[in-house]
Amino acid sequence: MSRFLLSLAAALIVGVLIGLYIGWVQFPTQTIDSPASALAQRYKDDYTIMVADGYRADGDLSGALERLRILNVENIPAFVQETAERFITNSRDLEDIRALVILAEGVGRLTPIMQPYRPLGQGS
Amino acid sequence: MSEQAIPRKFQRSRRPFSVLGIMLGLVIGIGAGLFFTWGLSPVEVVDTEPWQLTDDDKTQYMIAITMSFAYDSDMGAAINRLVGLRLPGDPIQAVADTACVLATNGYTNNTSGLNAVRSMMRFYQLQGRTGCADQVIPANDDPGSIVTIDIPTATVTLTPPASKTPTPASDVATPTPLFVAVPTSLPQNDFELVSVNTACDVGLIQVFVVELNGSTGIPGLEIRARWDGGESRFFTGLKPEQGAGYADFQMEAGRDYLIEMPGRSDPVSRPLSAVPCTTESGARALTSYTVIFRSVS
Repeated sequence: MSRFLLSLAAALIVGVLIGLYIGWVQFPTQTIDSPASALAQRYKDDYTIMVADGYRADGDLSGALERLRILNVENIPAFVQETAERFITNSRDLEDIRALVILAEGVGRLTPIMQPYRPLGQGS
Repeated sequence: MSEQAIPRKFQRSRRPFSVLGIMLGLVIGIGAGLFFTWGLSPVEVVDTEPWQLTDDDKTQYMIAITMSFAYDSDMGAAINRLVGLRLPGDPIQAVADTACVLATNGYTNNTSGLNAVRSMMRFYQLQGRTGCADQVIPANDDPGSIVTIDIPTATVTLTPPASKTPTPASDVATPTPLFVAVPTSLPQNDFELVSVNTACDVGLIQVFVVELNGSTGIPGLEIRARWDGGESRFFTGLKPEQGAGYADFQMEAGRDYLIEMPGRSDPVSRPLSAVPCTTESGARALTSYTVIFRSVS
């Protein structure tokens, strides 16, 4: 009987370790139906740039704001400003910065750090 | 005691472990581990990716992709982003299907929605896909193409009243100038553009000119293709095997063309671009267009 119990206990420990490996490492749970507000920062940035590009294409500010609303940020103009300034500070892609600056200007959040990235001919 | 009297199970060498215990322990252990990791303490998701979004948010993400494409025309980036959404089947056709849904559920009731669906249409049409949005949203309904023309109206000149002063009679007969009435009418087009559809094959502009009934082709009509620095004129009916009202024109890659029936129709509202595309089988090809003009009377 003790041989059985010892084997059971040892296998139990090994089994739990295997189960933890499978559940946390090999096949972790995958969440679907997540809101856009749960997107990883890099995808939030990517989405914001795409919306800014769309604004550059059609000049439809209300459409751009509507599209950004799914990110569920409290203050969209402040979010655009923060994103644009972060991109400038981190020396990100110039075209992305320009798109964000144009959108920031569209929502009335043009700040001095953005001035050099405004389209030519609009400098103050 | 003879050997034959000993039961067989006592004759086998005794294992240092219990097989049953091992099996039972592994099953219970793995089960408990999975229950803990999947149920009680799953991995906390901190980097949600686009494919994990709700359907509505995926749609918004898709719209943003095509809006961005409308600005930068970067097909590679757009495709990469679409792939990131892990849409079932052909991702470009998925854009067409989504545009179809949006075009029919009232999403296009405002300008922003209309712009969004148009950007989706342009995107998938360039890749030779079609969707019901092509029919719901007319090709010629681009607000940007509306041109207001002030047509000068004829000023009515009243005949002056007869003078009360009697005029002396003259013996010389004055020739009366011949009055010629010249009917004037506003310039009017005989044909209207009905649709422009795209496909992905050999870069051909196929033109069909049809009667008002929409099916009877009309031969012998001139079509003009214009591009930056040149133009070409061709006629319907020269390939009767394609139909009496058929004419076609081979585009050159990378060039934009305006198609019209000179003096009889307006040109297409936007240039037809001979852009590279990928067929459903994955082959590289060139965008083709099918343009239909219909008689208005």
